[in-house]
Amino acid sequence: MSSATIIDKHRQAFLEEAREVLVELESSLLELNERPDDGELVGRVFRSMHTIKGSGAMFGFDEVASFTHHLETAFDEVREGRLAVTSKLVDISLESVDLIKKMLDEPEGEGGASHPPASDILARLQELTGIADAKHSESHPLSTPLDHPAKEGAIKEWIIRFAPGPDLMRNGTNPLLLLRELKQLGDARIVANLSAIPTFSELDPERCYVSWEILLSTAACHEMIRDVFIFVEDCCELTIETVAEQPPSPPDLTAKLLEEQRKNPGRREHDKPDNASSIRVPAAKLDQFVNLVGELVTVQARLVEIAAGRDDPEVTAVSEEIERLTTALRENSMSIRMLPIRATFERFRRLVHDLARDLHKDVELTIEGADTELDKTVIDQLNDPLMHLIRNSMDHGIELPEARVAAGKPQTATIHLSARHSGANVLIGVTDDGRGIDANAVRARAVQNGLAAADAHLTEAEVFSFILMPGFSTAKQVTDVSGRGVGMDVVNQCVEALRGRIDIASKLGSGTSVTLRLPLTMAIIDGLLVRVGQDFFVLPLANTLECVELTRQDIEKANGKHLANIRGEMVPYIRLRDFFDIETERPEREQIMVAETEDGQYGFVVDEVLGDHQTVIKSLGRLFRHVQFVSGATILGNGTVALILDPHRLVQEVIKGNARSARGHPGSIAAIGFGKDGLLSKSP
Amino acid sequence: MPAMVEEREGSSLVRLKGVIDITSAAETKNVLLYALTSNKAIRLALEGATELDITAMQLLYAAERDATKSGVLFALEGVVPDEIKVAMTEAGLVKFNFQQ
Repeated sequence: MSSATIIDKHRQAFLEEAREVLVELESSLLELNERPDDGELVGRVFRSMHTIKGSGAMFGFDEVASFTHHLETAFDEVREGRLAVTSKLVDISLESVDLIKKMLDEPEGEGGASHPPASDILARLQELTGIADAKHSESHPLSTPLDHPAKEGAIKEWIIRFAPGPDLMRNGTNPLLLLRELKQLGDARIVANLSAIPTFSELDPERCYVSWEILLSTAACHEMIRDVFIFVEDCCELTIETVAEQPPSPPDLTAKLLEEQRKNPGRREHDKPDNASSIRVPAAKLDQFVNLVGELVTVQARLVEIAAGRDDPEVTAVSEEIERLTTALRENSMSIRMLPIRATFERFRRLVHDLARDLHKDVELTIEGADTELDKTVIDQLNDPLMHLIRNSMDHGIELPEARVAAGKPQTATIHLSARHSGANVLIGVTDDGRGIDANAVRARAVQNGLAAADAHLTEAEVFSFILMPGFSTAKQVTDVSGRGVGMDVVNQCVEALRGRIDIASKLGSGTSVTLRLPLTMAIIDGLLVRVGQDFFVLPLANTLECVELTRQDIEKANGKHLANIRGEMVPYIRLRDFFDIETERPEREQIMVAETEDGQYGFVVDEVLGDHQTVIKSLGRLFRHVQFVSGATILGNGTVALILDPHRLVQEVIKGNARSARGHPGSIAAIGFGKDGLLSKSP
Repeated sequence: MPAMVEEREGSSLVRLKGVIDITSAAETKNVLLYALTSNKAIRLALEGATELDITAMQLLYAAERDATKSGVLFALEGVVPDEIKVAMTEAGLVKFNFQQ
């Protein structure tokens, strides 16, 4: 690989990290808008800007560095107490964040500080701050990187040990720039450790062998010092330790440093092969890895089948060992894909801020459960549905401040974003305290659109489910934000594509709550494999409580009702044989798998429980996307296909079927079954 | 060429010009290696150099150390530009001190 290619690759890594810093900066700015006197937040904003500027310059994004320099100068004024945080300053800063994102996305050499929006932003910044420096044509970005940090607290001495990884320079990083930046934090005495430099003939000319020990005397905090190294943390060894408060007359710092160095000679941990605590991996590689683990799980199931068919202890032992390793590998690979939903949630602070300003509404976004982890695939596809829901809330749900006050509500409305685990699912909630949904208006529109009969008996949940239909909107006016009846349909499609569903609850005048129920993972789950006749099904283990026997006597005792007496508790059950129209003889003894569903405990009657099964989920494709009680299919070790059931939806389907039967639509329970050719078929 | 060697009687003169960084590190090493293997005194001219990065500094350090160990003179010739002196000081290379 050529040096240019390597540098390009690491510029890409910089871009990714810079975008993360920008997300953090945006979030800090929005918080600052609410708490303008919070000095720690001001410091955080300043440091993020400083990082973007310094690292931008280091990786050749000079225009980004130059533009950010002016913002940083403005926030230095804020730190100094010479400039107050106002909504206008925050808005300009947020606009700047957008522009920096755009600059980073643009091909090299385009846009930048000479870009018209940049000039406009900088002119407004200058008008607001009165700092002539805000003119983009002035001063080099690195000339005043971290001005006067000593104002932040008492002077301390820090010993910093910085040992670049072997590839740091190949990545396009120049350690000299980092040392230079460090010196700008205070008085720095730098000693290079050259002991790792090999003989000339053995020396790899592109590898960095030098490490440094720096005695830094500064008022900057640990975080500020660490920020200097933020973009190289993954490819260097770094320790930052305080020595002591600076005494009135400093001793010979160099001597102290050299003494320190003597105590820790030539420490080069990264000469070991693995020195990084974390690494970045492209998502596509991760997907490929999980797919391969999925294939391995399927093959391993085949091995178990073969081992079971042979009376060979050696084959059985190997099979069991491979099963243990496959399970560990599977759990490991799945955990790598799990990410907290925080970043997705935090992104909406900006949306709420901007929409509130545009719609002249006063709205606060509260977040709960941001550390809840979900599969990366699910998180990636959640952005659009959540954005639609929040836009709907902001536009239709939340009232204008005067209307809220008149209704006896607080002037500031709240949108609450929440996430929590529930069995094998994650519940994502978007709740507002706005005007709520008028169920009568929805119902009337549904009747008008021919979606429901005028005399239909509909529950509130059924009425609200019309909102999810394509083109359905009760909004009298289409706005820029929403009201075309497109959003909720899109939300529903996205959530269905994730094998999730949407519940809507609303109280007129009090607010609306939309809950997205999503599977924890889209790839592999722990399941319980069961058999009915010649057909196999998998039920998610997370929902399963216990398995008990169901004899003919038990059935007779219940007078034919689908109720089982389990330790004195009457548990309703669904016989999968009946549900799927499986026409084979019923065994004398059946098994009930009791599962926890949202409608309480339900039993699922099967012929035989075969045991735990690592279930690789395969999609059933678009043809069966409306068959909601089947989450997917999996391939068993013997090559046959088992359907993965969704217990909650199965129960819902039966309840709906019974309700339809009661209303005169008999025979609607058996909606899906295996055809004679063994393939899935759907009954009318 | 950022690095070149001139053969003189009894010595090799290595001249570094312009920016000597990772992009020219392999070439610089080859030039220095040629000078080292000639077993003649090595004179290093940095007058034309405008910038040295860490890869260049560690190459010079290793060349000087190996030459000295073999009893070969490794000395600077001419003036070292201020930018280079500043860069070396900033890099904390206090032990890196050629004879002049």
